[in-house]
Amino acid sequence: MKFPSLPRIPLAWYNLRHDRPRLLVAVAGVTFAVLLMFMNLGFLGALVSTTTNFYDQFNGDLFLISPQSLEISSTKAFPRQRLYQAAGIEGVQQAMPLYAEYALWKNPETSLSRALFVYAFNPSDPVFLMPELDTLEKRQALQQPNSAFIDRRSRPEFGPQTVGLETEADRRRITIVGQYDLGGGFAADGTLIMSDQNFRRYFAPQPLDQISLGLVLLEPGANPQRVKAALQEQLPADVEVYTKPEIIRKESQFWIQTTSIGFIFGLGVLVSFVVGTVIVYQILYTDIRDHLREYATLKAIGYSGGYLFKTVIQEAILLALMGYVPGLILALGLYELAYNATAGTLPMRMTLFRVIFVFTLTMLMCGLSGLISVRKAVTADPAEVFA
Amino acid sequence: MNFAPPSSVPPVEASIQVRNLSYFFGRGDLRKQVLFDISLDLHPGQIVIMTGPSGSGKTTLLTLIGALRSATEGSLQVLGKELVGLGDRHLVEIRRNIGFIFQAHNLFESLTASQNVEMAVELTGNFRGKRQQAVDMLSHLGLAERADYKPAALSGGQKQRVAIARALVNQPQLILADEPTAALDKQSGRDVVTLMQHLAQERGCTILMVTHDNRILDVADRIINLVDGRLESDESPQQFVDSHAPKALDQKMFIM
Repeated sequence: MKFPSLPRIPLAWYNLRHDRPRLLVAVAGVTFAVLLMFMNLGFLGALVSTTTNFYDQFNGDLFLISPQSLEISSTKAFPRQRLYQAAGIEGVQQAMPLYAEYALWKNPETSLSRALFVYAFNPSDPVFLMPELDTLEKRQALQQPNSAFIDRRSRPEFGPQTVGLETEADRRRITIVGQYDLGGGFAADGTLIMSDQNFRRYFAPQPLDQISLGLVLLEPGANPQRVKAALQEQLPADVEVYTKPEIIRKESQFWIQTTSIGFIFGLGVLVSFVVGTVIVYQILYTDIRDHLREYATLKAIGYSGGYLFKTVIQEAILLALMGYVPGLILALGLYELAYNATAGTLPMRMTLFRVIFVFTLTMLMCGLSGLISVRKAVTADPAEVFA
Repeated sequence: MNFAPPSSVPPVEASIQVRNLSYFFGRGDLRKQVLFDISLDLHPGQIVIMTGPSGSGKTTLLTLIGALRSATEGSLQVLGKELVGLGDRHLVEIRRNIGFIFQAHNLFESLTASQNVEMAVELTGNFRGKRQQAVDMLSHLGLAERADYKPAALSGGQKQRVAIARALVNQPQLILADEPTAALDKQSGRDVVTLMQHLAQERGCTILMVTHDNRILDVADRIINLVDGRLESDESPQQFVDSHAPKALDQKMFIM
């Protein structure tokens, strides 16, 4: 049966609109579910980017890492020799070592020690891109014995970050000689950067010829994929070569797939989805129950079950749309709030993918509850209206 | 969508032809027969009132004729189509040619009077003229000023008239009514049946009405009486009154 596309009476919309308080409750329910999904995905996304966004400040085109390393804070060291081998390959401009280890930092005010994450490098290498460390001159300060730069984004529990402040790290005197912005992700509450010579002092007997990460700079115009392939071929199997996007993806996957974090937030999304489905189902079911005689009448005067099906599904989709928009706006507000409350260490940022993903979930959620509740309307017995 | 054009039903032919119709509720041990071997012809232009005690099967017969239930035994022809053995999809098509008036108005509270009537017009595929058609019908029933009111703002009689407008707007050849005046006061009830009378006379539609309302028996051309699922009598209103009104007996006795 085909009708010309002229305006039909939008029964679904009128039915929803008729009972304003109920509509408001329904929309609030969907909004709540949408918000919960956005927040869970937001935390998950923030986690992923905090655990990997420090790579943006790493000055490398390719990265060498042991295949046994899971992520930056749990690396298996590999021989520095590999860097020398890499430096000989065509297209490689420079290969630089990076050392990484946890140290106990004593808050000078409370005398409480807490673990932070230490990066160490040769100050003559341009390993970091932060403006505080991007020239050789600025890195000179690191040459002093028992000194380090501290991350401004370290948690306040680590104490004051004033340059010149003296405290203890791993039971050894240390002086803050500079600051930078990096962020430690979920693996570290604070970070420190020091020279390889100081690293040697704090983490003896760890030898400097065992490194955590190798940063490779390419010559201008070199093809990263081609150099990567060459490196992979020439180097022994105790190192793997990644481009920057690849190593970021690898670490994100580590956190999402092999820790409980991805599961927790995924479960959060699932629970929000179920809650939303139940709320929408309740609303639709009550609506159908209240209008059952009218629906039966429609069938009696010649409307098919298909029309009623469409009407209920339309109501579900309208609820989805009306709940999604305020949910998205609230989520944007809360993202901002979370970002500010954590001083930028929890980078809750909306992505286009997430906007579309949650929209799809919302549609699914309402469609599902529509499908569960629609049976009652479609099976309305037209003979009942005479009873 | 196809309407059976009225011309396909020759005027002499019965618009409803029931032959040996039986109907059962339930199945297995609980199977209970509610209609027994009903045979009946209703002709265009007739108003037929169906009476009988409650539980006699009146409503069941009405819903069978209205294609709201599927009949299984006997023969039931409505507007030239055999309904026995017809599938749900075809029953829906049949219903579009029938105007239903219910005891309760069953209007959508969320739609205005006009929109409620337009819902019926949309079934014909006439989207462009639906508003005009609906308002015309409402005006005909004296509701021109109430066309854009929602049911909550209408009186009981007005709501019932909107429901009647919805039943009549597509000018059906058959109107089935179940206690259409039960919820109305005397005057509104009278208005409603007068309107039906006009329709039967002007358009030649067949009207089958179930009612217990003695005030409106006079509009009927025939009164059929159903008792325990069997057709007990089929007579003119005068015969019906004569045989049912004790006063008539009293008078005779008084004279004797």
